[in-house]
Amino acid sequence: MLETAERGASSSTKAPPHERYLEAFRWMLTARVLEEKLASLYRGGMIVGGVYLGRGQEAISAACGMFLDKSKGDLFAPLIRDQAGRSAFGEPLLDVVRTYLGSAKGPMRGRDGNIHRGRPREGQLAMISHLGAMISVLVGRLMAKRMRGEKGFVGLTTIGEGGMQTGATHEGMNIAAVEQVPLVVVATNNHYAYSTPNDREFACAALVDRAKAYGYEGATVDGTDLAACLDVIGGAVKRARAGRPPQLVVAEILRLAGHGEHDDASYVAPEIKKESFAQDALQRAEKLILDEGLLGREGLQQMRAQIAAEVDAAVATAQQEDAPHASEEDWSALSTRELADQFA
Amino acid sequence: MSVTYLEAIREAQARLLREDERVFIYGQDIAGKFGGAFKATKGLAEQFPGRVLNTPISEDAMVGTAIGAAMEGMRPIVEMQFADFSSIALNQILNNAGTHYYRTSVPVPITVRLPSGGTKGSGPFHSQSMEGLYSHYPGLVVVTPATVEDAYTMLIDAVQIDDPVVYCEHKYLYYHLKAEALPDDKLPIGKARIVRPGRDLSIVTYSAMVHEALGVANELSPDGWEVEVVDLRSVKPLDTDTVLASVARTGKLLCVGEAFPWGGVTAEVVARVASEGFHLLDAAPARVNAKDTPIPYHPNLWSEHRPNKSSIAAKARQILAE
Amino acid sequence: MPQVPITMPQLGESMAEATIVSIKVKPGEKVSADQEIIEVETDKAVMGVTTPCAGEVAKIDAEVKGTYAVGAVLGYIEASEADAARFQKRAPQPPKGDVAKEIPGRETESDKAVKTQNGSGSHFQVDEADVMSMSAGSGRADQGAGLPVPASAKGAGYLSPRVRARMAELQLTQADLASIAGTGSAGRVTVKDLESFLSGIEGQPAEKPSAIRTGVADAMRRSWTRPLATVGLSVCLDPVLDDRKKRDPKPGPALYALRALALAIAEQPNAAARLIGGKAIRSESIDIGVAVEAGEGIMVPVIRNADKTSLADLTSRYTELVELARRRRISAEMTTGGIASVSNFGTFGLDWGTPIPLPDQTLLLGLGAGKKAPTWSEEKQQFIPATQAELTLSFDHRSLDGGGAGRLLKRVVELLASPAQL
Repeated sequence: MLETAERGASSSTKAPPHERYLEAFRWMLTARVLEEKLASLYRGGMIVGGVYLGRGQEAISAACGMFLDKSKGDLFAPLIRDQAGRSAFGEPLLDVVRTYLGSAKGPMRGRDGNIHRGRPREGQLAMISHLGAMISVLVGRLMAKRMRGEKGFVGLTTIGEGGMQTGATHEGMNIAAVEQVPLVVVATNNHYAYSTPNDREFACAALVDRAKAYGYEGATVDGTDLAACLDVIGGAVKRARAGRPPQLVVAEILRLAGHGEHDDASYVAPEIKKESFAQDALQRAEKLILDEGLLGREGLQQMRAQIAAEVDAAVATAQQEDAPHASEEDWSALSTRELADQFA
Repeated sequence: MSVTYLEAIREAQARLLREDERVFIYGQDIAGKFGGAFKATKGLAEQFPGRVLNTPISEDAMVGTAIGAAMEGMRPIVEMQFADFSSIALNQILNNAGTHYYRTSVPVPITVRLPSGGTKGSGPFHSQSMEGLYSHYPGLVVVTPATVEDAYTMLIDAVQIDDPVVYCEHKYLYYHLKAEALPDDKLPIGKARIVRPGRDLSIVTYSAMVHEALGVANELSPDGWEVEVVDLRSVKPLDTDTVLASVARTGKLLCVGEAFPWGGVTAEVVARVASEGFHLLDAAPARVNAKDTPIPYHPNLWSEHRPNKSSIAAKARQILAE
Repeated sequence: MPQVPITMPQLGESMAEATIVSIKVKPGEKVSADQEIIEVETDKAVMGVTTPCAGEVAKIDAEVKGTYAVGAVLGYIEASEADAARFQKRAPQPPKGDVAKEIPGRETESDKAVKTQNGSGSHFQVDEADVMSMSAGSGRADQGAGLPVPASAKGAGYLSPRVRARMAELQLTQADLASIAGTGSAGRVTVKDLESFLSGIEGQPAEKPSAIRTGVADAMRRSWTRPLATVGLSVCLDPVLDDRKKRDPKPGPALYALRALALAIAEQPNAAARLIGGKAIRSESIDIGVAVEAGEGIMVPVIRNADKTSLADLTSRYTELVELARRRRISAEMTTGGIASVSNFGTFGLDWGTPIPLPDQTLLLGLGAGKKAPTWSEEKQQFIPATQAELTLSFDHRSLDGGGAGRLLKRVVELLASPAQL
C-alpha cells in the first residue's frame, strides 16, 4: 500500500520499476566494465590462467549481492559468474584485479587465482572448482551462527544448471532443508554447462520443481529483467531472513560469453540466440533507463566513465605490485606450523 | 575400574562438549538413545542437547557443513560411520578443508573421526584403512591412536588444533583394548612413542598393528632377539627423528601397516629412512602391508589379507638373519 | 625310424660350452654305442663326444670350429625303436648351459620357438624344421644366453650402508676387517660384528702410525686387490761383484739388477704394461723405482729412463736419491710414474720374498742376499764356490703369465752375467 502511495506521489518523473534499480544497474555496469578490462588484459597476455565472465548474468548476480548486508552477518558464497554480486556485496575492485594479476597483496597472495578468491572472515566464501561443494559449507556457517545465538542473518549461494546436477549440490541442498537454515540458492540456467546443452544436463520439466522435492520455497525469474530479478531474489532473501524454509530461485538467461575467455563458444546454437532469454540484461536495463528517463545518455556515459576510471586505477595499482616470490613462500598448508610435516 | 578404547573416545567427546562450547558432533545415527553405530556417542545427545546432531546419509554435506561451522569459529567433530564412507566426502576433506588455510589464511579446525581397519566378516566396504590416502594430501593432520590413552588425549588435542584433523580410530581396538583409567598426561601429536625398546630390529607401525608388532616382539624374545616397536601415533606429521633414532639403535627397519601395499605410510617411512638414514641401515628396509586386493569378507581370507603376527614375524626373522 | 639326438655333453662341472675340433663321422655311416664321433675342446682339454646308442648317423648339424652350449643338439642318430623308447623315457635334461631359460625375461626367440613347437621341452620328438631352428639358433653359444642373475647382491664381501658409514667414520678399510668372521647372511660382516670387533681391540696397546706407514699401508692394500704372483731364479753374483771393483763410484748389486731389468723391459715392453679396463697401457719411458728404507716405512724414488742411462750415471742419481730419502726430502713427483721397481731385500739378510708391486706398477724385482755356495761347474766338472743370490719377480697376473714373467727374469739373469755391458 505504501509503495503504491509513493508511486502516485511522484507524478512528474516516472518511478523506477524497483527502488534500487539504478543502484543495481551500476553494479551490473561495474561488472561489465571490469570484466571487459580483464578480458582485454587476458588477451594481452597479462593474466595467467583463466578469465571467467558473467556477461549476461549481471542482473541476477547484482540482485544476489544487493540484498545481503554484512552488518547483519549475511554470507555470500558466489561462483564464477558473480562479479556484479561480489561487487554489490562489497568486494573491492582491487581484490579482483590483484587476484587476476597475481599480486602478492591480493587476498589469495598468488596461492589461488581468478574467481577462487574470497574473504571468508568478511562473509564472502572462497569457492573451490568442484561444483556444489560450497552449499554445505554455507549451511555450516549459518548453523554455527544460529548455535551462537545470532539472529536475522541470511546466506546466499549461487549455482548454475550444470552445477545443480552434482551429488554435492543434492547433499548440500537437502541438508540445508534438514537444518532449516536461512539460505537462498540462486540457480541460473544459462543453457550450457561449458559446451553441453540442457538436454544432456537434466531431464526434469523445470529445475524449480526441485524446490518442492527438497522442501524449499521456489520461484523462477527472467534473468534478463533487472527489476524482476530484484523483486524475486530480494523477496527470497527477505523470506529466508524471516525464517521461512530455504529458498530456491531459478533464473533463465543465455551465457553471452564462452565458458572462459579461452572458449569461443562456437557450439552455441544460432536459434537459441533469438530466444527472449538470450537478451543482454545490461542493454535491456540501459534501454529502460533511457526510455523511462531515469537517467539521460550523458548520465549513463558519465557513470560508465567513472567506473572505467575506477577500474583503470585498480589495474594500475595492482600492476605495480610485486608478484609472489617462491623464495618468500613458507610452504605450509597448516596454520599450526609445528605440525607441518618435514620433508628432507 | 577399567576403560576401553571406545569409552575413551566417548569420554574425550564428553569432556570436549563439557569444556568447550564451540564443540558439536555431527554424524549419522549418533544422536538419541542410539548413540552411533559403535556407541561412540552414547548418552551424549541427552547430556548435551542440540550439540550431538544426526545427519542425513550425506558424507559430503556432513563435512562441508563442519567446514562452514569451523570457519565461524566452531570446533565440529564429524563421525563417519565407517572410514570407508569418507570416500564420499573426499572432495570436502581434501579440496575444501585441506586447501582452505593455504588459499585464504583462514584455518578450518574440523575433526573427522574415521572408524577404521578390519574386523572379522566386515568385507570390502567396512574395513578400510585410509590414513595413507589422507596423508598424501597437504593441509591435513592424520592421527592413528593405538592405545586407550592416546585415543583419549589425541582426540582432545585434535579438536584443539586449528587445522583439519583426520582421526583414525581402529574398530578392532574399540572393545579389545582396555586401560586402568583415563590418562593424566599425554604425548603431543606429532611425536612417536617407543613402545618397547630393543636393539636388533625396529618395527615401525601404528594403530592396531602396534599390538601385532608387540606380539611378534614377544614371540622373538626367547630366541634372543630384542625387537624395538615404534608407534608412530600420528602418521602426518610423521616423527622421522624418532624413527631414525630407533633405526640408529637397531640398524634394521620393518614397517607394518594395515592399509593396501601401494605407497602409503609404510612406503613413506621406508623412503625417509632410506634417504635420510641410509648410513644407519644394516639390512634392506622392509614393509608388511595388506594385500593388493579388496578386503575379503570371509575370516579365513581376511586374516591372511591383513598383516598378522605370523606374516610380520616371518619378515622380521628374515631381516634379523641378514 | 626314430631319431635320437647327439647333444653337447657336460664334460666338466664349470663347462658351459665347447668348440668342435673335428667330426669323425658322416651322415649315413653306421655307428656303435659309445663310439667317439666328435672331438670338442673346452678351456681345459680336448675330449670326445660319444654316440648315445647304436644306429646310423642321420645328420650332423654342428660345424668344426663352431662353439655350442652344453645340451645343444649336434646331430641325430637313426636308432632302433627299442633304443629310441629307452631315450624317450630318459629324455635329455633341459640344456644346463642354456641359462636363459631359468631366468625370467632372458628367453631368446629361439627358446620360445622350441617351447611352442615342442611343449615337453625335450629335443627328442622335434621334426626336421625344428632341428634346423635349433642348430641355427639356440645351440650356438655365441647367440645364446647371458649370465645367471644372482638372487641377491649379498655375500661375504657385502658391506651394508651402516657398516660402510661406520668404517668411513673410523677410517677403516675392508682390509682392516679381514679378521672378522661375519655372522650375517652368507658370512657378511654385520654392524654388530664390526662393533664387537672394535670393542675387542679397544684397550689393547695402540699408537698412531707415522704418515709414511699409513701411506705404505694404503698403497699395499690397493695393490693387493690384484692377483699378484711371484717367480724366482738363482743368479750368480760373482761377475757383478768383480765388475763392481772396477767401477767408481761403485754401484750396489741392486743397481746392476735395476739396469738389467730396464734393458730387459726395453726388449719386452708389454711385460710392464698395466691392464686398465680393456686396455694394456704402456709407459712412454722406462722409469724404475728403487725401494729405500726410510724411517718406519719404505720410499720408492724413481730413476727416469733407466734403459737409456749408463750404470755410472744411475749410480750417482741413486746416491742422490738415497740421500734425499734419508733426509725425507723426496718430493711426490720423484716417486711417481715408475713402471717397475727393485727391492733389495737381501740387505736384510733375506734369501727370498714375495714383495708386492706398487699399485700403479705391474712388476717388482726382488734381490735376495748373496751367499757363497758350492756350484757345479760344467767347465771344470766339479763344485766350485760361487756367490749365489735369489732373484724374484712379482707381477700382476692379469698383465703377465708365469711364462712371460719367467722369460723376463731369465733375461735379467743373462744380462747380469755380463755386467761390464750394463
